[in-house]
Amino acid sequence: MIEVEGLRKVFRTRRGPVEAVAGIDFRVGAGEFVGYAGPNGAGKSTTVKMMSGILLPSAGRVEVCGLVPYRERKRLARRMGVVFGQRTQLWWDLPLEESFELVGHLYRIPAAERARRLRRLEEVLALGPLLEVPVRSLSLGQRMRAELAAAVLPAPQVLFLDEPTIGLDVEAKAAVRDFLRELNRTEGTTVILTTHDLDDITRLCSRLIIIDHGRLIYDGTVEALRTAYGTTRVLVVDLVEDEPLELAGAVPVRAEGRRRWFQFARDEVSAAELIARLLATNEVADLTLEEPDIEDIVRRIYRGETPG
Amino acid sequence: MVAEALGVYLRLAAATVRATTRRPAYLVVRTVAAALIVVLEVAGVALLLDRFGSVGGWRPAEVLLLFGMAFAGQGLALVFGNSLEAEKLSELVRRGTFDQVLTRPASPLGWVVASYVDTRFVGRMLAGAGAVVWAADRAGVAWTAGRAGLAVLAVTCAAAVVFGILLAAAGFTFVTVQGSEAVNVLVYGGLYLASYPLQIYGSALRFLFVWLVPVGLAIYVPALGVLGRTGPPGLPGWLAWLVAPVAGAFLAAGGLAWRAGIRHYVGTGS
Repeated sequence: MIEVEGLRKVFRTRRGPVEAVAGIDFRVGAGEFVGYAGPNGAGKSTTVKMMSGILLPSAGRVEVCGLVPYRERKRLARRMGVVFGQRTQLWWDLPLEESFELVGHLYRIPAAERARRLRRLEEVLALGPLLEVPVRSLSLGQRMRAELAAAVLPAPQVLFLDEPTIGLDVEAKAAVRDFLRELNRTEGTTVILTTHDLDDITRLCSRLIIIDHGRLIYDGTVEALRTAYGTTRVLVVDLVEDEPLELAGAVPVRAEGRRRWFQFARDEVSAAELIARLLATNEVADLTLEEPDIEDIVRRIYRGETPG
Repeated sequence: MVAEALGVYLRLAAATVRATTRRPAYLVVRTVAAALIVVLEVAGVALLLDRFGSVGGWRPAEVLLLFGMAFAGQGLALVFGNSLEAEKLSELVRRGTFDQVLTRPASPLGWVVASYVDTRFVGRMLAGAGAVVWAADRAGVAWTAGRAGLAVLAVTCAAAVVFGILLAAAGFTFVTVQGSEAVNVLVYGGLYLASYPLQIYGSALRFLFVWLVPVGLAIYVPALGVLGRTGPPGLPGWLAWLVAPVAGAFLAAGGLAWRAGIRHYVGTGS
């Protein structure tokens, strides 16, 4: 569905050339749900712009739906949906239903087909009561649901999403995620999700691509990332008494009153062993075991740490 | 295919107009204000010209006919082309709106024009047309079908030239992403100069606005016909036949500049 090969983009600025994307390769198959992450300025949006035909690559090859984006921009536009979380694709001053009608004409969706799809989208995204409301009067959560409906109304083969859950409350986030999961499952839409919200990625994406400084630094499943990088776990101990505590095989990383944090390597010592040692020497009020947080892992990757 | 594409842009434009009519009072006030500016300006010039008696051998009413044509042409061009003005277009680029336009299955120019149609400028156009009728009456023009045709020719071709300037400027804006005052000099300066009989200008200025930025040609030559005057040496009446092709060529050149600008924006040019 998407092929990216040796993709580069160099911007000329007053302070000389800046390489925003410095040679990236990946392939995305039809129906994949890919998270695309990276710190600010990593080259995420530049890559997405090259995939959607907004920017011409400086070098390398990009193909989406079998089309060369910048050369066949309009044809690709018919097969592609785009949602930029911060900006609207809807007609601000008009009732929502008019936006859907315009999208229908713009993408030449036959009237019957449009009505059928719209009925389903209205139901899934609970848009019914909003149809007559001008877009500018919608709440952010309502608007994001409407944006998604407008983007997928033409049944795109590929959907580019940029921060679709930014600023949304818990409930609205869940609604957006549920919808995307369903869309990907039932229609087989390929989704590229650019986000800072790693929660989005762990809940939705089968695959994660991380780039930094214009280079690909991780491409694989979220699970594989956890096992590659997340080899340390943390045992949190609540002592009965405030007393010094040492634990063989684990490193104390934090202490707060009677609560202590110990980090240990998964392959050196098991949690059970560690807890047994602890209970033999101290009186313990409570225990919790913290698995590596994907957010921590990604932060470590951004800092340039290697697996282990 | 073409009809279908056109239909989409008409729908877009209709949606834009509908959006403005949702606040009718605001729309009326803005339209009337746009018309009033023209009325006041024409009245001011009329008062001034009456003190002088004539400009370059033209009576005040005859000069005001040129003013009316210039305003009507500018109004018509801005109904469609207001979003191409440097500050508005650079705003679209900076806010990323233009990126979104490029993800639509439509021509970017058609999209921008249709999405920012501004009916307020209809007020300016109508006021300009009103000034033409009023000035022609005071100048004693006996209207015939041919003269009316020439007046329409002047307004539409002036609009085409102004639109061409806006297009070229927009192409430039894609490169600089900054508004350029130079454009306002051409649009407003050119129109202002074309509001007076061209014979009062030196040959360099006259050549610039007759042949290079043909807003002077578009207004002055048809006006000669409407008023039944013969032109000065170098600007014979039969040039009226050239007005439409020259204005059309200028518009096409503007279109090329726009396309070059888009290519630069996407990164295929430069």
